Amino acid sequence: MKTIQSLDEILERRIVVCVGTGGVGKTTLAAALSVEAARRGRRALVVTIDPAKRLAGALGLNALEAEPQALPDSTLIDLGIETKQRLFAMMLDTQATFDGLVRKLAPAPEAQKRIFENPIYRHVSRNLAGSGEYAAMEKVFELLESTEFDLIVLDTPPAQNAVDFLDAPIRLLEFIESRLVRGLVQPALAAGRKGFRWFEGPTRRMLDLLERLIGVGFLRDLSDFLLAFESLSEGFADRAKQVRETLLGPDSAFLLVTGASRQTVQNAESFLDHLESQALPLAGLLINRMRLWPAGIAADSFKPGGDATDTPDLLTLRQAFERSHPEPQAAALAESARAVANQYNGWVNQDQENIEPLRKRAQDRGLFVRCLAERAGDVHDALGLRALSEELFDASAQDCHQ
Amino acid sequence: MTAEPSSFFTRRIIVVTGKGGTGKTTVSATLGLAAAHHGLSTLLVEVGAFEQLPRLITGRAEEPVGYRGRLLQPGIQAIRIEPFAALAEYLGLQIGSRRLVAQALRNRSLRQLLRGAPGWRELITLGKIWQLEQMEGPNGNPLYDLIIVDAPATGHGLTFLDIPHVARSAVQSGPLARNARRVEELIRDPKRTQILPVSLAEELPAQETGELVQRLRHDLGLVPDQVIVNAVAPPLPCPDPAELEQSLRRLPGDLPLTQLPQPESLADAVAHTSARHRLNQAYLIEIAERTGLPLVVLPLLDHGVNGPVELEALRPALIESGQGPGIVPPREPAS
Repeated sequence: MKTIQSLDEILERRIVVCVGTGGVGKTTLAAALSVEAARRGRRALVVTIDPAKRLAGALGLNALEAEPQALPDSTLIDLGIETKQRLFAMMLDTQATFDGLVRKLAPAPEAQKRIFENPIYRHVSRNLAGSGEYAAMEKVFELLESTEFDLIVLDTPPAQNAVDFLDAPIRLLEFIESRLVRGLVQPALAAGRKGFRWFEGPTRRMLDLLERLIGVGFLRDLSDFLLAFESLSEGFADRAKQVRETLLGPDSAFLLVTGASRQTVQNAESFLDHLESQALPLAGLLINRMRLWPAGIAADSFKPGGDATDTPDLLTLRQAFERSHPEPQAAALAESARAVANQYNGWVNQDQENIEPLRKRAQDRGLFVRCLAERAGDVHDALGLRALSEELFDASAQDCHQ
Repeated sequence: MTAEPSSFFTRRIIVVTGKGGTGKTTVSATLGLAAAHHGLSTLLVEVGAFEQLPRLITGRAEEPVGYRGRLLQPGIQAIRIEPFAALAEYLGLQIGSRRLVAQALRNRSLRQLLRGAPGWRELITLGKIWQLEQMEGPNGNPLYDLIIVDAPATGHGLTFLDIPHVARSAVQSGPLARNARRVEELIRDPKRTQILPVSLAEELPAQETGELVQRLRHDLGLVPDQVIVNAVAPPLPCPDPAELEQSLRRLPGDLPLTQLPQPESLADAVAHTSARHRLNQAYLIEIAERTGLPLVVLPLLDHGVNGPVELEALRPALIESGQGPGIVPPREPAS
């Protein structure tokens, strides 16, 4: 497979998956990627997780919905996208996705009703950790199946590691295909003829054990739930397999997003371990919220530790201020400027130090690395999103070296 | 309600929760140090796949403490609750035969089922926390005075706290229902358990913290004592940032400076730092309004949080916040 050298090439793929821990700006960056894709004439869809109201606003929408919505023309103009292009946005909604799946695969109203009313279905689809990841996989399949979009940019649920999201299809397959699940479903299918005795040996002992531990009522509900889902499970497994194949294939690219604090960088390294162990097509690393000096200024021209106690510079500044300010005030301004510069430089140095091991590791593996400066505020309108998108794809931008 | 400095130490359990990346682990570790300092026998509980607390507490690379746990330093024990280990222990107690359980858990079918089955990890983890809360030392007093749980991020965190209730409504009777009820009672008992949300003074965390507190109130009937707001940018080290920025922008752009950047870049740094500070202050007010709770403000540390030195630096802000300037008084919740 061709190695991706830059962010530009990522936009050529069919699906871009942004992974990383929570709080690193994945959602906004996913939106910024889709904006650039649309600007280049691709029909792009951004699928987000966070119901950030401001991001919806920046996309010209009141709220992100569970189905793709086209951005209004006025927003496209603000985003620098020609109005003949189309850009879509949606939010993953676990419950809506599950319900949609049931409706699609169990067309008979009675069957649907039975599933919707099952207490286990209600909990699984709404509440339980992991159901979001299952639903994400389902939605991705549906979107990949449609030819409406050239590029899907997918934000992923915040997780401590990549495992949750990426392993969801495997876990789902194992669950559906497990002998125990079959053991629960089959007797119900056999309509009381043989009950659990249908199974012999270890599985049968396991079912006895479950019943003893959990109680009969729960097992009956579970069996009902699985029975109701039986008709779905065949398709379920196929789709999970296909999604995984697509994600592993040449049409997809993973983008690891991280911040620059020591803990987020450590988490990103764990992600990297996992992505590598799974042989997932990781294309690049986005390091967001870096404190940087403008291009051309090297943090290490300050003394190590970020303490620029250079008296000639202080004198130069003071003399410059004295042209417009009385002497004591000029001295105070020069002192203040130096204090702020020192503080800021300390942060810049710290961020550089934090990201260095990750940056080096990524570059050694031939991944592209892109650093983005911390912004003063959140992106809250289309112009802000456009600025971010342009910064992201600014060819003249420095890389992460200071 | 005021957050007295001691309010952290009047319960048996503190569940530290919040959006990902807000610093739950830092807050958990700081509380652990503070509690030990206070003379409490403290247990730190991690539930994620990676252990982070031991390294923060001791400041050096640590062998995993795992499910057996380990004393990190006097007064601070740490454990990572691994769901499969907790399940094996629980089943062993229920069935009375560890051999049978070990054999059962080696069963490939059961392992497959458990890998895919949702919910049980959270339930068994909380069950283990309940058991740890019940444990007694040789003198009959609780073995741990305080148990600090570094809980999963909010979305999953609320699921985590609500799981006993979910389990109980799915299973009406039997041993599982009985145990789930005990755990639910512990989590919902404000005398024994305090939920401690951690936020950042930024848009999404502020929004999510507001939603978390609302849902805790409505779904679980729990009202936190306070919200921790982490990594709040300090004021600039100068009396009037706006004036400094303007004055810098009026200077010529080609001063013979040897180390400092040119005035334009200095002005940008002032503007950026100042904007970050103002933004944080605005979101502090928003969090206070959205939650109606007192805030405990932790400062952004220049060099990040890497070990006990920084935790010690945060400790006073966290613990003595009751009287200090770090606290924002409670406000009426926004309607």
